[in-house]
Amino acid sequence: MDYLLHILVLVSLYIVLATSFNLLIGFAGLFALSHAAFYAFGAYVTAILSVKLGLPFPVPLIAGVLFTAFIGILVALPALRVAGDYLVIVTLALQVIVLAVINNWKDLTGGTDGIRGVPNLHLFGYVLDTPGKFLPVSALVAAGCFWVAWRLAGSPFGRALRAMRENESAAQAVGKDLLYMKVTVFAFAAGLAAVAGSLFAHYLTYVGADSFTIEETIYVLAMVILGGTGNLWGSVIGAAILVILPELLKFIDLPTDIADKSRLIIYGLMLIVILRFRPQGLFGEMATTARVGGSILPAAASIEEPVIAGRSGTTLTGKGLHKTFGGIVAVADLNIELKPGVITGLIGPNGAGKTTAFNLLTGFLEPDAGSVAFGSRPITGLKAHRIVGAGVARSFQDLRLFTKMTVLENVLVALPDQAGDGVFAVFLRPFLVRREERQNLGRAMAVLDFVKLGDKATANAEDLSYAEEKLLVIARLLATGAEVLLFDEPLSGLDPTTLQDIFPIIHRLAESGKTVCIIEHNLDVIKELCKVVYFLDEGRILAIGTPEQLVADPALAARYFK
Amino acid sequence: MDLLAQLLVNGLINGSNYALLGVGFGLIFATTRIVHFAYGPIYTAAAYATWFAAMVLGLPVVLAVPFGMAAAALLGVASYLYLYRPFELRQSPPLVSLIASLGLFIVLENLIGIIFGAGSRVIDGLQYDVYLVGPTFFTSINLAQVVGLLLLTALLGLFLRRTSYGKAILAMTDNPEMARIIGIDTRRVSLLVFAIGSALSGLPAALILMKDGATPHMGFIAVFMAFIAVVVGGIGSIRGAIVGGIALGLVESIGLWQIPTEWQNAISFIVLFLVVLLRPRGLFGMAGR
Repeated sequence: MDYLLHILVLVSLYIVLATSFNLLIGFAGLFALSHAAFYAFGAYVTAILSVKLGLPFPVPLIAGVLFTAFIGILVALPALRVAGDYLVIVTLALQVIVLAVINNWKDLTGGTDGIRGVPNLHLFGYVLDTPGKFLPVSALVAAGCFWVAWRLAGSPFGRALRAMRENESAAQAVGKDLLYMKVTVFAFAAGLAAVAGSLFAHYLTYVGADSFTIEETIYVLAMVILGGTGNLWGSVIGAAILVILPELLKFIDLPTDIADKSRLIIYGLMLIVILRFRPQGLFGEMATTARVGGSILPAAASIEEPVIAGRSGTTLTGKGLHKTFGGIVAVADLNIELKPGVITGLIGPNGAGKTTAFNLLTGFLEPDAGSVAFGSRPITGLKAHRIVGAGVARSFQDLRLFTKMTVLENVLVALPDQAGDGVFAVFLRPFLVRREERQNLGRAMAVLDFVKLGDKATANAEDLSYAEEKLLVIARLLATGAEVLLFDEPLSGLDPTTLQDIFPIIHRLAESGKTVCIIEHNLDVIKELCKVVYFLDEGRILAIGTPEQLVADPALAARYFK
Repeated sequence: MDLLAQLLVNGLINGSNYALLGVGFGLIFATTRIVHFAYGPIYTAAAYATWFAAMVLGLPVVLAVPFGMAAAALLGVASYLYLYRPFELRQSPPLVSLIASLGLFIVLENLIGIIFGAGSRVIDGLQYDVYLVGPTFFTSINLAQVVGLLLLTALLGLFLRRTSYGKAILAMTDNPEMARIIGIDTRRVSLLVFAIGSALSGLPAALILMKDGATPHMGFIAVFMAFIAVVVGGIGSIRGAIVGGIALGLVESIGLWQIPTEWQNAISFIVLFLVVLLRPRGLFGMAGR
């Protein structure tokens, strides 16, 4: 009986580890394989504080969580610089370094002997010294940790995390602060893993380095992948399966050493088989938006909402902008003025520097010289997400939709000033966040209706047709609430009928007071939409005028069609 | 000063091992873009295969080494065909291959542990010479490590530049899409680099077996060293991997001058950490892309 209860205690610990790990890899897309190190920090801080300093529960737990969350923030720093394969390798290396420290700093950690005599938990006069007594506590803690992860994942912050996972630059372009998000999610994932570590230390009354090896990280990784990345319930099931399954080996009479190794082989095989035959895991990514607004989609807010109307009538000016890439001049002495209520066109042959100009205006590139001002406010040197907040936003030529999110979520995530983007509001001001979320659903539907995508709201962005994708790009840019909208080839590759559908949308934006600038190759589109056109070639502005004036200039035509 | 000279020699010797591992691992990585983490246990398998050939089959060492290399090549080819290839065909994100590779890593390592036991395996009755040069000494196994690096990389260089298969590999390293378009059979080229890259790990594996004995966990450090050598030297460059590997050996060895031995491995991981963060394109800027 005790054996069975022991297994259940382990399941509850691994539920905490797997769900917190899922936040990191499944939601934020940050494959930082150092989770066992976070687990170790929680366990060791608890063991050291309670054995060497005699501090009573819950001091070691709290200290362990805070300390490990801090370590998590440090690990987030590499994740700001490198991604993908490199992040995996760097974090594996980090884990090796942590293990080396644990094994070699004998005075503090007991080296390879570990630390014995961690006191059992005492609660309400009970000593929790058997699995049966410990289980209610560990189950409760697991439920609590699950709730924290669940709340985070289902909040606007969690939605922004998934957007960042799908495409970092696009998340930035809708005003999300990548630094804040990465640091925060690492702190939470690490802190939660430390809770499991602290419980582990009290439960076994012993900590040793061999509980926190890289194999342990891979073990938890297998649970997350098995259950499905981006699905927290999946991680619960994954943890249960992978803790219980190897226990069945106990029924075969094997030497312990071989049984241990067989257990690891099962994890490895499980990982391969799942990736090979069911890469989304047992359960696919969970649907979060449906939860927020109930099962019925909200009615769209009225179109006169400030989301679509321009307000201030401010002009965006770029002065003397200059950018070179390793000796190649991309943009030279660019002076540009974008006025409210006017659709400005940017044309020129490929490589003329049009997209670079957008990058300079929106902070995605820092100019070598020159300045950008929005009204009287200088915005040069601001981070890209801050410029979006200030009211200047851009789209990308290659769309960069959040493909594994719904159409509605693509727009929702882009809405400005969401209190729920901050974790403090998510946990401390839940009613505010919920109220705002209701309003935002209405605003998002309004934006979708405006571009006539309302009936696709619950579809996944990856399932849209090409024309619908283009519309969603417009909707997402619009949702940022920015005054200045820079569209990078919003209409390329569309058939004439669809073009006729989209023209009025862009015209209405300008009429409502927005500042609109589009990069476009199709001269018919330019003639239809733009009042002012800048002609760029080799990074320089060659002409400014009405479309008719520019088209009539034979020298420009020769350059354009060369 | 004598100590420093000896440390430099040791660094050069260990560095040669890392360099060869780096060349093999880097060849696979640069050509296929797969972070073949299971390179580690395949290297381990090569060491055990060499041991098996020498001690169980009774082959002389000169034959046992190629036997180990062949075993590694076979495992490398199998891992490409049965593990990575299906992911490539499905156009999975690159991370999927890496995670699957971690799975294969843990399977192979523990399989080896079960088959051969946890203790270390050594080749009994091995004769080797000790050379004293000035204040330093080294053994004929050490000599073989350095000579082996020079010989194998020279052969590899010739193969890559002179044969049509070699040129196909270089083309694919440069631009896999383009290589496919101009009619290079990328599947066959990938199989080839998995065979060659894995076989290259067989020599360092055999020499470590002769020097220190083989253990089931030896591959873990090896694949990291290979990765560090590649990252330090710049991806897609054989010369870079050699320089990177030897630099790593020297840093590690000279580090021991001031730092206690038990931290030896941590030194390399800290190097990796710093290089990836500060210069992800390699210290020497020879990166292909």
